[in-house]
Amino acid sequence: MHLSQRRPDTGREKTADVRRAADLPFLLLTVTLLLTGLVMVLSASFASAYYDIQGETGHDPVYFFSRQAVFAMAGVVVTLAFSRIPMSLVRKFSGAVMLASVLSLGAVLAVGTVVNGARRWINLGFTTFQPSEITKIAIILYFSDLICKYRDKMRTFRYGIAPFALILAGVAALLVLEPHFSAAIIILTIGAAMLYLGGARLGWFVGGGAVLVTGAVLAVLLVPYVAERVASFRDPFSDPTGDGWQIVQSLYAIGSGGLTGLGLGQSRQKYLYLPEEHNDFIFSVVCEELGFIGAAVILALFALLIVRGYLIAIRSGDRYSFLVGGGITTMLALQIILNVAVCTSLVPCTGISLPFFSYGGTALLIQMAEAGLMLSISRENVLAFPESTRPPRTEKRSKRSTP
Amino acid sequence: MSANSDAPNRTMLRRALFLMAVCGIVAFIILAAQLFRLQILRHDELESAALAQQLRRTTLPAGRGTIYDSRGNVLAVSATTFTVYLSPAEIAVNGEDAELIASGLAELLGMDREKLLGLAGDRRSWYKTVRRQVERETAEQIREFKRRYDLQGIKLEPDTKRYYPYSSLAAHVIGFVGVDNTGLAGMEFAMDDVLTGSPGSILRLKNSVGTDMILAGYEDYVDAKNGSSVYLTLDSDLQFFLEKQLRQAVRDYDVQNGAAGILMDPKTGAILAMASLGSFDLNNYQEVAPSVREELDAIADPEERSAAASLAQLTQWRNKAISDTYEPGSTFKIITLAMALEEGAATPHSSFFCGGSMSVQGRGKALNCWKHAGHGAQTLTQAVQHSCNVAFATLGLRVGEETFYRYCEDFGFFRASEDPNASLTGRTGIGLPGESGSIWWSRNVFCDPENFSQLAAASFGQTFNITPLQLITAVSACCNGGYLMKPYLVDRICDSDGNLLSRTEPTVVRQVISGETSRQINTILEQVVCDTAHGTGKNAYVAGYRVAGKTGTSEKVAQDAAGGAKEYIVSFIGYAPADDPKVVCLVLMDTPSTSTGIYISGGQMAAPVVGKILSDVLPCLGVEPRYTEAERKYLDRQVPDVTGMGLAEARKSLADAGFTVRVTGEGETVTDQLPKAGATVAAGTTVILYAGTRAAEMPQTVPPLAGLTYAQARETLLSLDLFLRSSNTILADSDQVRVAFQDLEPGAAALPGTVLEVTLFNDDDESYGVY
Repeated sequence: MHLSQRRPDTGREKTADVRRAADLPFLLLTVTLLLTGLVMVLSASFASAYYDIQGETGHDPVYFFSRQAVFAMAGVVVTLAFSRIPMSLVRKFSGAVMLASVLSLGAVLAVGTVVNGARRWINLGFTTFQPSEITKIAIILYFSDLICKYRDKMRTFRYGIAPFALILAGVAALLVLEPHFSAAIIILTIGAAMLYLGGARLGWFVGGGAVLVTGAVLAVLLVPYVAERVASFRDPFSDPTGDGWQIVQSLYAIGSGGLTGLGLGQSRQKYLYLPEEHNDFIFSVVCEELGFIGAAVILALFALLIVRGYLIAIRSGDRYSFLVGGGITTMLALQIILNVAVCTSLVPCTGISLPFFSYGGTALLIQMAEAGLMLSISRENVLAFPESTRPPRTEKRSKRSTP
Repeated sequence: MSANSDAPNRTMLRRALFLMAVCGIVAFIILAAQLFRLQILRHDELESAALAQQLRRTTLPAGRGTIYDSRGNVLAVSATTFTVYLSPAEIAVNGEDAELIASGLAELLGMDREKLLGLAGDRRSWYKTVRRQVERETAEQIREFKRRYDLQGIKLEPDTKRYYPYSSLAAHVIGFVGVDNTGLAGMEFAMDDVLTGSPGSILRLKNSVGTDMILAGYEDYVDAKNGSSVYLTLDSDLQFFLEKQLRQAVRDYDVQNGAAGILMDPKTGAILAMASLGSFDLNNYQEVAPSVREELDAIADPEERSAAASLAQLTQWRNKAISDTYEPGSTFKIITLAMALEEGAATPHSSFFCGGSMSVQGRGKALNCWKHAGHGAQTLTQAVQHSCNVAFATLGLRVGEETFYRYCEDFGFFRASEDPNASLTGRTGIGLPGESGSIWWSRNVFCDPENFSQLAAASFGQTFNITPLQLITAVSACCNGGYLMKPYLVDRICDSDGNLLSRTEPTVVRQVISGETSRQINTILEQVVCDTAHGTGKNAYVAGYRVAGKTGTSEKVAQDAAGGAKEYIVSFIGYAPADDPKVVCLVLMDTPSTSTGIYISGGQMAAPVVGKILSDVLPCLGVEPRYTEAERKYLDRQVPDVTGMGLAEARKSLADAGFTVRVTGEGETVTDQLPKAGATVAAGTTVILYAGTRAAEMPQTVPPLAGLTYAQARETLLSLDLFLRSSNTILADSDQVRVAFQDLEPGAAALPGTVLEVTLFNDDDESYGVY
């Protein structure tokens, strides 16, 4: 209904008409990180695939790599494809994606596969995926859509907070039931970021923050496994063979790297010491093999990607595109930062994968689709990058120059 | 403007920039800082902790160098063996059958099955040693067992074991190694660093379940560097002769506390042979001699028994030639002689008078000569022949305490000390473990101008203790032209490929006496041996060689003080040829038994041993015997083959060879002879010729010969159709020359024609006494 109303909007039509080439730096950063990540999956997974303790790979050392490579190639196609979808079309599906993600969150509780005591995965036969991955992007798309709709009422509670809070609460509840706290935290944070970008009153964030902190404290106090995580975070070496094992092994890997690293493929910690070495702790292997220099370069690439993402969003002349671009970038940033922070023991251990690096086909495809959306936004940018970084100022300047 | 009507407003853009700053820049700076902290600041700490869990070091044993004698005979060599161990963790991980492993190994290694089960059960361990030094064959069987059942939990790694091809030969010099192949005694200990080489290692990375990392670049392989080989100055032939004669002497004289012998090249100080008895088999160095074992087994109390067993081991491992100090007694007179001649205190023709005793300033009682009747008027040479204590005390007093003291220091018997009241000590520094230091008077006591008792006693080798090695080193200096050489045992060191690394050059410590003095000493000492009438050392005489030497008999003072029966160490130091000494031989025997009936003295007991050793050893050193006419007359000789000859021809042939003849039978041709052709028998032996008959084949009973003169023994045997030869030589067939020992025990059966070997000694009751 609202969409049909916007159609006659000349600005949008024009924007669509002037779609230009996708943002090359963002594309290059994405592909560079994707390829680097692929190489690191090969290196990190080689040993565990060879030893095949879980009986999954049939001792095929390139088992994980070859699968990830297929998804990476498909991912590039997905990125290019999504970069061609006009954002107006994306916006039309916002609600549908949200609905699908809530349904799949419900489905996972019913038919999901239990891994390590948590029901997070849906087995599709040919692959498995986590509905929470869909939920993240769904929240971004749907919240962007809503924020655009309530554009002038965003500073009110009724429109600016309440519907979003309800949706977030519902989704978070479904995730806690799995349980999947890390996803819940990320989704809540993304939701908050969307509202922040959407212009909601800052006061609400203080309140929401208080609620979250209380919730976190309660979780630490009441949920045993959260409490254990926090305890082992505070002093991983107190029980290096037990709860502290993961983080201690990660610190060994990172510390072993030193300045220049042990060399690509030379990680020792990947030899069954470091758990999830091609997954949540792949960055520890990066640090061990490539050293501080290599890890810093990769962090810099990620940082550039994030900065570029925000710039793409900012340069978008369209509110929806701005919100989706800002949301996706924030989500990427959040996952990168949290993953590295876990590996380096800055925050308690939690299962967050590293975008473009961690093994996992569905997640990678979704990330590549998100990158495609970022490129699509860049193609609709009204402002060329070299000219300005602050569109509003350009506006002002043109005003001043008119007389 | 309408184009921007749906654009994000300024608040939104500002907030996006804020997020960009936080998520794109600040957060990453924090992450980079944390990485810096972990990777740079805590790198060493974390890496070593990581390596501690990742690394496994496997040691590659270095082959231990071989010990050779100077001729290149192998004295000690390492062979590859294997260490068998279990990896209980792998047994557990692989689910292998511990029972099967235990019973299999129990059978192959002859071990207790329960014990093996216990080892295999320690699931946290990766390494449980089962048995070290498993021989190659057994190791092969274990490998086969391992293969058959695909058992990864049984492991073998190479190891080495030391073998000593000559068993007990030169045991004290060679020494031995422990199970870990480190030297524990002798040259094995002294040269351990050279022999050991440097073990290699493989530093491998393992994964968390303990097997090797695949494709791990971090593999540190350090090659084992085999140890170098050591060539000793020992000559195993000479060593064999020395030990053979010492062992025989210990049996003959029923020596109670072992014996020691050293052969030294006087010109270089190289030790050619060094032996200490009782000895032990280097391959089983813990094992004591069977007789000792019996004594130990007889001890009921286990603690007492184990203490006694330890003591017995220490005793057998003790190298008496360097570890036991003793009062050298009269052999030391060579040193006094040297300084007296060098200082001009006497010439070979100086005359002395021995009335049996003399008084010495500071000595409470008179100093007695061993011959209480006294030696009367004598030249210096005669005084040495007689080993006259009075003459030597006189010489010592003439030399003077200060000079005497300085010479003793120069001969290496002690090292001077700053402190004139400190008792003195010194050692040769031969480089063998366990070399004892001498025990000498302090300067103030010895050089007391008021009291010459120490000086007088020291002049004939009493009141101080030195090692046999010190004595032979000093005597070598007396006979080699005056140079004190540093004794040494390592001739050269070669690396494992045989390349020469170093060679020991003889070290002259100092010249102590002049060449002229040395020549005079050689002339005088030769008279001690070759003068069969007056020389106290005549039993060391070797036909064909010019042997010089000096006897020694030391009372064990400590034993006297303890009030026990008198015990003696009898010794003889001899060298040959006297005009150009090639070898010096010192033999000493600690406490010969009185039961043999032979008078206990160096001249009676030790001198013949040295004579026999020299007669064995000199031909090995390339010294050809040159017999005098007199010597030829008494040489053992071979019986020619006269069977088949006419009687007259046979008689002539035998007479020419120096035999007498007795004919049995009536024929004209010799049909048989005793001894058979080719047998070596004593000079003057009567050969029995059979003309028409054959020699009887009834075995005869060997008669006791000890105490008989040479001629009596020969006749006694002839009456039984038995014959005689001597293991040492005599110069005259006099009544003094008597049989001491025979090789076939009395009462044994011997076929007619058997040649008995007897040891003769010149039993001169004139020279009974401690000299």
